[in-house]
Amino acid sequence: MKTTGYLGLDVGSISTNLVVMNPQNEVLFETYSRVGGNPISSVQQALLNAQAALGEDIQIAGVCTTGSGRNLIGAVVGADVIKNEISTHARAAIHLHPDVQTIFEIGGQDSKVTLVRDGVVVDFAMNLVCAAGTGSFLDSQAIRLGITVPDLSAKAVLSTAPTSIAGRCTVFAESDMIHKQQTGHRQEDILMGLCHAMVRNFLSNVCAGKEIRAPIVLQGGVSANLGIRRAFSEILKIEPVIPKHHMVMGAYGAALIASKAGIKQTRFRGYELCVRTILTQSFGCTDCPNLCEVVEILDAGQLISRSGGRCRKWDGDMTPRQ
Amino acid sequence: MSMPQLAIEPWGNYSLALAASVECLHVRPWTHTCTTPEILKLGVEASPEFSCLSFKVTTGHFIKAAMEGVEYGVMVNSQGPCRLRYYRMLQQKLLKERGFNLFIFGLGYDGIKPPLIRHFNPTMNDFLRCCFRARLKVVTIDELETAAWTKRAVELRAGDTTRAMNACIKDLDQARTVPEIKAFRKTIPARFNQISVDVNRRPLKVALLGEATILRNSFLNQNLEEILGGLGVEVRNFFLLGEEMRNIFNIGTGSKYGWKAMRKLAKPYLGTPVGGHALASVAHTLRCAQDGYDGVIHVAPAGCMPEISVRPILRKISQDKDIPVFECSFDEHTSQVGLVTRLEAFVDVLYDRKTKKEL
Repeated sequence: MKTTGYLGLDVGSISTNLVVMNPQNEVLFETYSRVGGNPISSVQQALLNAQAALGEDIQIAGVCTTGSGRNLIGAVVGADVIKNEISTHARAAIHLHPDVQTIFEIGGQDSKVTLVRDGVVVDFAMNLVCAAGTGSFLDSQAIRLGITVPDLSAKAVLSTAPTSIAGRCTVFAESDMIHKQQTGHRQEDILMGLCHAMVRNFLSNVCAGKEIRAPIVLQGGVSANLGIRRAFSEILKIEPVIPKHHMVMGAYGAALIASKAGIKQTRFRGYELCVRTILTQSFGCTDCPNLCEVVEILDAGQLISRSGGRCRKWDGDMTPRQ
Repeated sequence: MSMPQLAIEPWGNYSLALAASVECLHVRPWTHTCTTPEILKLGVEASPEFSCLSFKVTTGHFIKAAMEGVEYGVMVNSQGPCRLRYYRMLQQKLLKERGFNLFIFGLGYDGIKPPLIRHFNPTMNDFLRCCFRARLKVVTIDELETAAWTKRAVELRAGDTTRAMNACIKDLDQARTVPEIKAFRKTIPARFNQISVDVNRRPLKVALLGEATILRNSFLNQNLEEILGGLGVEVRNFFLLGEEMRNIFNIGTGSKYGWKAMRKLAKPYLGTPVGGHALASVAHTLRCAQDGYDGVIHVAPAGCMPEISVRPILRKISQDKDIPVFECSFDEHTSQVGLVTRLEAFVDVLYDRKTKKEL
């Protein structure tokens, strides 16, 4: 017998996450994978994995995309709803922990704080032009030390005397770390110092002026890091709650939104899109001095979407270009 | 002898009104309604790294004009502590260093006639004609903008309002004489009424306020008004030149948005002048809280002294009067993605608040 499933896709800067849930909001399938520079092929791979795991019994009845690649992937897979990642993350956290007051979400390039009062989002903030409090900094440090990110996480929690590392700027944090290693500090103490620095940076930049109340939910890719979890509880003196699907909360929230959107006929273009070649190309429109870049998506050579351009004349225009 | 050319800094659609006015001085206007990527690049290259975006952009426009052989330029001044009052002198220097011969006039008062008018010395008749025509065009543009804000939030087909607006602006530019402009003005309601709208949609009402250059230049603010309109938000951009002119020339300052009323309203929060449109930002935020706006978006170029000074005050007002204030700083970046994500989330917050209040 066929059952319905709702698909949530979170296409971020670092990872592509996919969640399929049933109408009772139980997760049927979830996956977290690294984008590796090509969001379309990583989405195709994730969808193939979902198809293999779920078989033909699950009929996709609604799709919601989120993350910085939401518009591109929305056009590629045929999304019914396209939602920003701040709202999907909040939706997921409130659904799993209805009493939540503060949500910390730390991803690859974004870190954000969302304040929730009585189950409604009242305020949020997102990092600006600084990567000091995000996952990509942890990544680059792990690469520099020749260890994996899970290793970094496991080692940091072993520290008994964390060193102090300046967290204002990643470049100076790195020179501070090198200085500590040259003076003979143990690696786990340096790594835990790094986690402290990242959390301090997050709290003083992103959370500046925000009223942090417990319970706090910590989610996003970086929430898997034990060192970061420890740093939060040591600095705030509050143990953050790690939700069940903490790595894929954006996709979870998106699937939740899709399931509640009352979609009658989904625009999902089917699993077949995974095996076709989908390409994007862009051209500079020269009709006015704005010189906008217009992006076209081609599915097996056929134009399926055209967007971009400030005057909006290209939106939805599918006629062949001269 | 050919007519001299005068470069006007970009003031959004109002550039057209300013252009029309200088024609009466027997000067050919040179202007753009919004900045282009090329102009921004020219400005950024020539400007000191830490100057604000408004400086970089206006400098870029003057350089581009000078490259095209324009001899004169005109730049606003400001009173009070904003650095804008020195921009003209600095820009003049930058142009000279690059070997350009473009003289920039200010709009300040020194004596009875501003230097610009003294230089071109138009007849009284021409001068008055210039004033009338400019005023009429400014008021017409105010009317167009207001109509577009309301329609865009409820339009059924995305982009209809923008297309209608673009067509209107083109026609207005063609209208040369006062009777022509008046005739055009009469057609505005009909043209906007052609846009099919969703009568059941109840849009949010959000105020845009802050620094004027960014508010008015759709290239710099990444099409803020359109993004919000597309999200079903009726905006009111608090920089309307018609109102601003009344304040500059001290005509009808007793009105709701006049200086006197604003100063009185802002007094408990801001007692000292900090320049720019800082006083207006504080007063308008308070006014919006009174008038039942759903939220306020405060716009400023990164590093803008007056607007940054009032941000802590706006946060206080936000708490005291229970009105969400969203702060947005703009710099040279051209990617819209970060801004759109934040705006969408802000609009979600406003919708949730509204639904919760109504329950």
